[in-house]
Amino acid sequence: MPDFGWPSGWWLRYRPATMTRRVPQEWNDDFPDGPGLVFVATARLPDWPTVAGTLRDAYECSKETAGKGESIVYVVHNDDLLGRRGAPAAMVATGLLSAGRTLALEVAKQGASVNVVAIEDDTPVGDVARWCDVLLHGATPTGELIHLGRGHIGKALA
Amino acid sequence: MTTAVVTGSARGIGAQIAARLGADGHRLVLVDMAPALADTALELEDAGVDVVAVQADLTQDAGISSVVEHAGTDVAVIVNNAGITRDARLVNMSEADFEAVLGVNLGAAYRLTQALIPALAPSASIVNIASRAYLGNFGQFNYSMSKGGIVGMTRAFALELAPAVRVNAVAPGLIGTEMALGIPEEILTRMISAIPLGRMGDPAEVGELVAFLASQRSSYITGQVIVIGGGRSFT
Repeated sequence: MPDFGWPSGWWLRYRPATMTRRVPQEWNDDFPDGPGLVFVATARLPDWPTVAGTLRDAYECSKETAGKGESIVYVVHNDDLLGRRGAPAAMVATGLLSAGRTLALEVAKQGASVNVVAIEDDTPVGDVARWCDVLLHGATPTGELIHLGRGHIGKALA
Repeated sequence: MTTAVVTGSARGIGAQIAARLGADGHRLVLVDMAPALADTALELEDAGVDVVAVQADLTQDAGISSVVEHAGTDVAVIVNNAGITRDARLVNMSEADFEAVLGVNLGAAYRLTQALIPALAPSASIVNIASRAYLGNFGQFNYSMSKGGIVGMTRAFALELAPAVRVNAVAPGLIGTEMALGIPEEILTRMISAIPLGRMGDPAEVGELVAFLASQRSSYITGQVIVIGGGRSFT
């Protein structure tokens, strides 16, 4: 598995055939198409329009995935959960966490799960892919926040 | 006299927050889209509070500008309270309802705060009204997302504006507003039965918490979310 830093720019690659993976283009080999949604939102964002656009994109992808009864993983940056990379990125990260908890309640009866994975700058992409694979293929855990790293220890609960 | 800006203050929790901050001696800039704002302002004026009412849509640039213009340059308190709900399961939620809730609850709060930062007084306090729904609540994907976003915004601004300005959030649970009292009795009774303290909260209790966070009595608290929900978060 390649091990490289997380891109700081925009990450979206629209894949209309499946709409199941919203991951950085260079990660596609690690995140093969399949059932369920992986939505990566780890970029630094400059302003409200980019926040609104990202959250709208998450809404559209999540609605389609929930309609199919499939599971979802949102990938965010731990620094954004703590508000350490500016308000725009923080609003996206914590917004997805809260929305994910709500959606976990809504899709539970279908046997689907919704979870959030928090990464750090040096988290290997292969680790993220493995966790997403595990979380997309079972109804439990659901509504959880899973930290891949140790930057959250001793910090505020999300 | 310092200024407190309170959005969504025509009625309910916002009106109680405004009344409480007025009692603490702040000049108030009340903001809401609802015409009822004028009545709330008159009531406070009758009570001896210095009040300016700004009827504005905070999702529009003109609305933000109008508030900034009326706020002046000595803003000691901002309370981002304006909010709406458009509940539905996500699979049935329209794009319009999704965007409306995000735009009012999160976008307006962020943009107004940014616009008012240059007007903040030394030792100012910002209090953002989130919701217990940021922990998750069936049928509220848009609302939960917006209130979760408020939590992130609170933390980020707390770091960005420290040490001069403190920023905190309050997350109310079931509060006895007009909206809550309109819930069918059977459902409301069931909701209350899940609250350890056995009752709805009073809007004045939220006002008291906001007044505490807005004052120097909470001078070492920043970046925090305080849930005021009668213990409902554990049941």
